[in-house]
Amino acid sequence: MANLATLIALLVLPFAVGDYWTYQLGLYYLYAMVAVGLGLCWGQAGFLPLGQAMFFGISAYLSAILLKAMPGSYLIYLLLPLAALVSGMLALLIGLMVFRRDGGSGPFFSLITLALSMLTFQIASNWNSVTGGFNGLAGIPGLPGIDDFRANYHLAAVALVLVLALASWLYRAPLGVLWRAIAQNERRVALFGFNPHHYKALAFAVSGFFAGLAGALYAPQQGLVSPQVVGFAFSAELLVWTAVGGRGRLYGPVLGTLLVGSMTAEMRDNIPYWEVIMAGFFMLVVLAFPQGVVGLFTPVTDRLRRYFESARLRARIEAPARRETIAQEPLTIEAARVSTSGINILNDLTVAFPPKGVACIIGPNGAGKTSTFNLITGELPASAGSVKVGALDITNQAPYRVARLGFGRKLQAPSVFPDLSIGDNLAIALWSNGARPLDLLRPSLRRWSSPIIGELAARYPFLCREEAAASDLSHGERQILELAMALAVQPRILLLDEPCAGLSADETSRAVDVIRWAAERLGNAVIIIEHDMALVRKIADRVMVFHNGALLAEGSVADIQADPAVQAVYVGGQK
Amino acid sequence: MIPISFNTVSGGYGSLNVVQDLSGEVEAGKVLCVVGRNGVGKSTLLKLLLGYLPCRSGEVTIGGRKAGSMAPEARRGLGISYCPQERPVFDDLSVSDNLALMVKDGRLDGYRRFFDLFPVLEKRLAQRAGTLSGGEKKLLSFTRGLAEHQPAVVLDEPTEGVQWENIQRMAEMINGRKAGGTAFIVVEQNLSFAELIADHYLVMDHGRCVLIGSCAEIGRADIVKHLTV
Amino acid sequence: MDPLIVTQILNILFGVTTLAMIALGLAITFGMLGVLNLAHGEFVMMGAFCALVVDRAGAPFVLAVPLALLVCGGVGLMVEMLLIRPLYRRPFDTLVATWGLSLLLRKLAEAGFGLGFNSVSVPLAGTATLFGADYPTYRLVLIVVCVAIIGALFAWYGTSRAGLKIRAMVGNPDLARALGMPVKRLATTTFVIGSCLAGLAGVMVAPLVPVHPYLGLDYVIKSFFVLVVGGLGSVLGVVAGTGVIGGLDSVMSAVFGSTQAYFTVLVVAILFLWLKPRGLFSHG
Repeated sequence: MANLATLIALLVLPFAVGDYWTYQLGLYYLYAMVAVGLGLCWGQAGFLPLGQAMFFGISAYLSAILLKAMPGSYLIYLLLPLAALVSGMLALLIGLMVFRRDGGSGPFFSLITLALSMLTFQIASNWNSVTGGFNGLAGIPGLPGIDDFRANYHLAAVALVLVLALASWLYRAPLGVLWRAIAQNERRVALFGFNPHHYKALAFAVSGFFAGLAGALYAPQQGLVSPQVVGFAFSAELLVWTAVGGRGRLYGPVLGTLLVGSMTAEMRDNIPYWEVIMAGFFMLVVLAFPQGVVGLFTPVTDRLRRYFESARLRARIEAPARRETIAQEPLTIEAARVSTSGINILNDLTVAFPPKGVACIIGPNGAGKTSTFNLITGELPASAGSVKVGALDITNQAPYRVARLGFGRKLQAPSVFPDLSIGDNLAIALWSNGARPLDLLRPSLRRWSSPIIGELAARYPFLCREEAAASDLSHGERQILELAMALAVQPRILLLDEPCAGLSADETSRAVDVIRWAAERLGNAVIIIEHDMALVRKIADRVMVFHNGALLAEGSVADIQADPAVQAVYVGGQK
Repeated sequence: MIPISFNTVSGGYGSLNVVQDLSGEVEAGKVLCVVGRNGVGKSTLLKLLLGYLPCRSGEVTIGGRKAGSMAPEARRGLGISYCPQERPVFDDLSVSDNLALMVKDGRLDGYRRFFDLFPVLEKRLAQRAGTLSGGEKKLLSFTRGLAEHQPAVVLDEPTEGVQWENIQRMAEMINGRKAGGTAFIVVEQNLSFAELIADHYLVMDHGRCVLIGSCAEIGRADIVKHLTV
Repeated sequence: MDPLIVTQILNILFGVTTLAMIALGLAITFGMLGVLNLAHGEFVMMGAFCALVVDRAGAPFVLAVPLALLVCGGVGLMVEMLLIRPLYRRPFDTLVATWGLSLLLRKLAEAGFGLGFNSVSVPLAGTATLFGADYPTYRLVLIVVCVAIIGALFAWYGTSRAGLKIRAMVGNPDLARALGMPVKRLATTTFVIGSCLAGLAGVMVAPLVPVHPYLGLDYVIKSFFVLVVGGLGSVLGVVAGTGVIGGLDSVMSAVFGSTQAYFTVLVVAILFLWLKPRGLFSHG
């Protein structure tokens, strides 16, 4: 709807602004397409490419070469999308190769993209036989059937709306939710069984494709492609436009490009220090208004959207049952050793957890309790020993692979995705076991629900406030939301790290009931790290005492309490 | 003048209050031992006292002056030394640099007594502190903290990983300082060590005080009840 | 020795030492504060413009040094307080904010001096003869001055009490605060020193390169590559990184030409960023 309105508005606009601006805007629509891609990476998936011009420029050169080779041929309409696809694939490749390395998606990724775009600039300016060197490729014929600037304008407008429609669909789809989740807490996403590197690479690929599409249209529109289109200055301007417009929203980068970009072309000469003012404004935005200009309108547009959406009935859809799973078998850790910077955190730890029922791990600080969880879920590498479920060896598997086998985990500090709604938080947990990769493009998956969530919501009504942001919840509610997310996965083995930390006595006893109920309902194994002995007494079928990275004692609560070695650890010895 | 006192302090991380309405004080020449199982908020209490975390309510007074929202580096000027539980020494510096840091002329003469007590430190002077064992780091930190000669010393689990003979020597040292009027707040898991030095106990559970009093009033059995599982 | 080879060796030495000078300022702010200052090159640019102003005024070249220290130090101080301090421990936002700063400084220079290339007349014009080769005196002096400044800084950092305190504060700021060390003031001082070093480097290179608003860009990129190759925060790293990047740049320039040199440096830097982001001396 919104996209259709945008399209009509853009198509009618030339009648209002006159020829000069029609020509100018046609160009800036192309730039806006690149900016939308940058917003997708930066505002949604949370990583910042500094060389988007590279993807724009590569497709522009490709398109220019193709156009010059086959002037007037309508075949070009098939080839241009392919030129854009080349940029997309290149971005995908870069993403896949870079994100999985140590540098990840932090500042190093940004610097790599910056260096790559500078490299491209060097190639473009020196490879005379192909790129025309410093002067570039001139005299590029226009697209067949597009013969004046007005037609070019309309083509650019349609392309921009196409990009916006595609992006808005992705933002609404589960994929977009996952991107935003990755930006907030990448580790948590991996623990739900999604490989964050792949999803980030995908985001980068889409942004590369958008930039490529714009570049492919740039060549015939302008008739000239010079190294400046892959240059640093263009990348820098894109960044400013996106930030000033508002990176977090679909329309932010477009607004930024049209307002700042096209106005700069005009104001540069009329207003002294215009660019200085814009640079200062950019810094102000970075420091104080991450929302950008579009943030001024979002309170109004959000209210409008809520008004329209609440009118529609949002029926819940039953999530499908778990796809892949492991049999309910015991989890065993065999002589596992984990060390960081020369210190052994786990010292030949050998322990077996029964396939059903609640086991509690207790032990003093530094006993290796949380490290054991990190070992199981693949976040800490074992230098020796093994972790197995039944006969299946899962030692040193990537966290997302372990999670897919049916492990659920609740972290020590509540780590729900604060900027997502309660409903999306829960939905991510459901997708983690029920969604196939292509399903993540279907917005209807955001309405998934399951009987477990229904029953939890009956106990905790706040879980029904699906639209509310998780950041609005109190500490106790967040703990419960995360517990609900861990349960919604329907894990075969559930790892809970201090699930009741920071809860009041009343909240704690309710949470204990829920954990007990879930363990019986799911018939799974629950392993809890807990300090509070009152809670352990209530919930544990079996207690493991850890000390110095190894198992010290194991048994029922009574056994443990009668064990002098355990008591000595807690009181402190004289040896 | 009371070296350190705290009145109904609460605070913690993010939205969570780890410490709730704790009050206590330590007089000159006395030792207050804060005990409790791990995760009950003992280290958090110390961070509130030292200014690493803001107090959400309550008031900390050091050397008779209200600390308010003073930064840790400023609180030291009120007369308090602190030996943290985690990362207790400068790992990148040598042992001797760790000690020389707080001495004006950089000479280690003032540490003679400590070297006699813990010869292992003197042997390791040239070594990078990061290569010390956990217990040796604690000894180094303890030595540094006590050598500052401040009216109040705050120790967070000073005996973690330290051998029993050295624990006894630490206790001797503390008791010697008590006689000289130094006040101590010691967070401790090792009850045997606590018994050697404590004048008062503050037993914590779930961020609250469950037991407070002098060692005459509180026996080992009372504390063990709250410590063990 | 063949005079041509001597000249080439001196060129390489010159390239490496000036790059080390610029990378050092960046290394100080990055290694000690964890601040990736993308505007570091613009401080170099400001230093160069200070030299230009002094040159145009017909004043002795040496006066550019105090002017650059004043300007870069002052701007550095303001930037630290207004921009860097609110963003400590947010590397991503710092990156973007300093990027914005670099834009602002460039545009300011553009507004003040225009986009054109300016030249600063070379002080100590003339050449000196070294091992049979004639080499510009100013460049020779620069090599010596750079080595002296860098050497003095390292010696001071490694042996003085102030250096000891700085190392303590960098390694374990929380403990340093418990010992009453003014960690915040140190951060400010460090940033200002880094900015001043950049300004000084700018003054030094000004007579040798075209002075224009985009002057800093190449330097900052190369300096980043130095840090990336050498690893962060270690003295050895800066030296090794400069050796690799500066050496590669100078040798390739001498043999194949500056474009190929630039190209090679970019490729090496990308490989390091990708495969060994913690530099030459990291394990794993």
